[in-house]
Amino acid sequence: MTKQSKTDKITSDLLRPIRLNWSFKIWFGFLGLALLVCLGAYGLQLKNGLSVTGLGDYVSWGMYLSNFVFFVATSLIGMLISAVLGLSGQKWAAPLARIAEIIALAFAAVAGLVIVMDMGRPERLLNVFIHGRVQSPILWDVTVITIYMVISALFLYIPLIPDLKICSEKLDVPPFLKKIYKILSLNWEGTIEQKKMIQQSTRVIAIFIIPVALAIHTVTSWLFANTMRVGWDSTIFGPYFVTGAFVSGTAAVIIAMYVFRKNYKLEEYITEKLFDMIGKLMVLVSLIYLYFNLNEYMVPGFKMKEMEAILIRDLFSGNHAILFWSVQLLGLVVPIILLLFKKMRKPLPMLVIGFMVLLGAWFKRYIIVVPTMEHPFLPIQNVPQSWKIYTPTLIEILVTLAPMIMVLMIITILAKVIPIVSVSETLEHLESVEQAEGELKK
Amino acid sequence: MYNRNFKIVALAVVSVFFLQTFAQNNWNVPADKKAKNSYIKFDAASAGQGEAIYNKNCASCHGNPGKGNVQKTLNPIPPDLSSIGTQSLTDGELFYILSSGRGLMPNFKSMLSDEERWKVISYIRSFNKGYVQTLSKFDPNKAKLIKVSTNYDRKTAQVKVDVKVNEKSGIVALKNAEIGLFVTRYFGKLQIQKNQLTNADGQTVFDFPKDIPGDKTGTVELVVKLNDENYGEIESSTKLQLGVPTDKPALTDKRAIWGTLAKAPFWIILLYLAGVFAFGAVLLYLIFALNKIRKSGSNKPQ
Repeated sequence: MTKQSKTDKITSDLLRPIRLNWSFKIWFGFLGLALLVCLGAYGLQLKNGLSVTGLGDYVSWGMYLSNFVFFVATSLIGMLISAVLGLSGQKWAAPLARIAEIIALAFAAVAGLVIVMDMGRPERLLNVFIHGRVQSPILWDVTVITIYMVISALFLYIPLIPDLKICSEKLDVPPFLKKIYKILSLNWEGTIEQKKMIQQSTRVIAIFIIPVALAIHTVTSWLFANTMRVGWDSTIFGPYFVTGAFVSGTAAVIIAMYVFRKNYKLEEYITEKLFDMIGKLMVLVSLIYLYFNLNEYMVPGFKMKEMEAILIRDLFSGNHAILFWSVQLLGLVVPIILLLFKKMRKPLPMLVIGFMVLLGAWFKRYIIVVPTMEHPFLPIQNVPQSWKIYTPTLIEILVTLAPMIMVLMIITILAKVIPIVSVSETLEHLESVEQAEGELKK
Repeated sequence: MYNRNFKIVALAVVSVFFLQTFAQNNWNVPADKKAKNSYIKFDAASAGQGEAIYNKNCASCHGNPGKGNVQKTLNPIPPDLSSIGTQSLTDGELFYILSSGRGLMPNFKSMLSDEERWKVISYIRSFNKGYVQTLSKFDPNKAKLIKVSTNYDRKTAQVKVDVKVNEKSGIVALKNAEIGLFVTRYFGKLQIQKNQLTNADGQTVFDFPKDIPGDKTGTVELVVKLNDENYGEIESSTKLQLGVPTDKPALTDKRAIWGTLAKAPFWIILLYLAGVFAFGAVLLYLIFALNKIRKSGSNKPQ
């Protein structure tokens, strides 16, 4: 195959998914309908207040806050794959950078909305800006999540500029769309200076996004750890949350890889080798997270301080035991063991494992938030049983699903308008490979 | 096995049922309290004032009378106060229940004055068309005749309360009046010992603790609450130098984590601003870089 035909094939393969087809319309229509139902449930919550949920005086943070932590956690993956692996020279991860950035942007953008959905009076969010106190982790959280969202969007956009130029030239789309691609591609000509600027600014973002991403999840963990509540009053909560975030984010990327590979027919670009590598990465981040779990539960479990013992017993053998052990075993230990086998690091088994881990990651947040709220320091007296034990309502579950649907919509749209594997980088990679081969022949 | 289980369940159901009915009906109101009547006329005006007090203190559990919106999640379920069960009680019984409380029902003796409690009952009675009030002959204006004097004896560390009544026939000592002694604190009043009755000379004595913090000079405000069958209730306060002189700065004086934004610690303001400025700098650099990319492309000769 000549070089030109190779280039044409790569360009057409990677740009092919960017068109409207029926499967996209049906999928998007389904998401839209589901979102409408969930927003209807949210309408009921707005009208009647939080009394339509299972939240109350004791468990005031339930599913919504667990959902929020899960969203912030999953959004951290952009930083791990694009920045950490990129800066440390792990070239194999390069084709995943854009998928990871899309996931990061979608989850970070919706995380803020999840908090608003937890408010009975959402218009009072303004009070955070009017009366915000710089001493409050809530203000830090609002600040860093906004910063992370902006930086993630730029991290997606800047390396995309050469691809946008290709899109405006090669895509068969209406003229106005071509124009939008052209404007967004900022007169890209591929000059040496332009390439240098892109390289430099991508590097600046890659470095800057690491502390920002660490900050968003550490600050989210401080919303819990900066209180004296049992189960939250822990000095390792920051790293514990961050490592947990890498686990759920990697699972999200694995699922996205599988779906895009199948639907967009990208088997040559999202290779089995890539699955093998990301499977190994999953084992690494899961082992680190397991280590933090051991610290987080074994140390208080050894000491069994009066109030902490009540919570630990509740988790290990009480009300929440089934959920706790399922999450730890099925969501963490079993995936680690499975992924140690090469046969399991193939696309389909990894999809199943990815779902197990992602589901486990969501319920892990629930296990962190809810049981602690059910065990305040002051004894609960003279209240009905339903106030002591938190049970989410149907409306609450629907409202919790709404942001997940929004994330899927954002990912779907972004993956429909931009190539999800960088065209220009794949071409550059081809060039460098051929150059190396040519030098070998000499 | 089935039979045994059934018996246990049946026994449990029956006993819960009995306990509940027993709990709801048996308030054990003493005969003299049961016969007590209000000195406030139950009319539209007093019912209106009572409604405001009711909405603030009672409606969260008992709901709005006749609307059936009582807090059903509580055990026992609080009754709707327009119901026959409630309306068949005497004014005295209602007043006693309201004053003493039991279980989940708080006692309102310390939260509402006699007058306020009667107004609440006036509001409750306004839902009973067939109700005819029997007014008490008690004259609340007589409370004005009472004179309370409070003194501290440093040697014995006792507070002596002396109650006199300025009757037309001359000044007489008020005996058997119920006296409560309180000290004003930041949040509400702290009671000193239990309530006591005045003796034949209209006097009663409280042992006053030596470690109650006062202001800079040791001054504390003493409040005497008096309640008497014939003269009603009055409250009188005196400032006396019997506390421990205390001069502590307020917790909100200095910059601290718990302060308002204006009182935030410098280090936290600096850290926060440093983060925001670092982001601003990176953002400016990126905008500059993007602009450069755009310009260098358009400058290139076509």
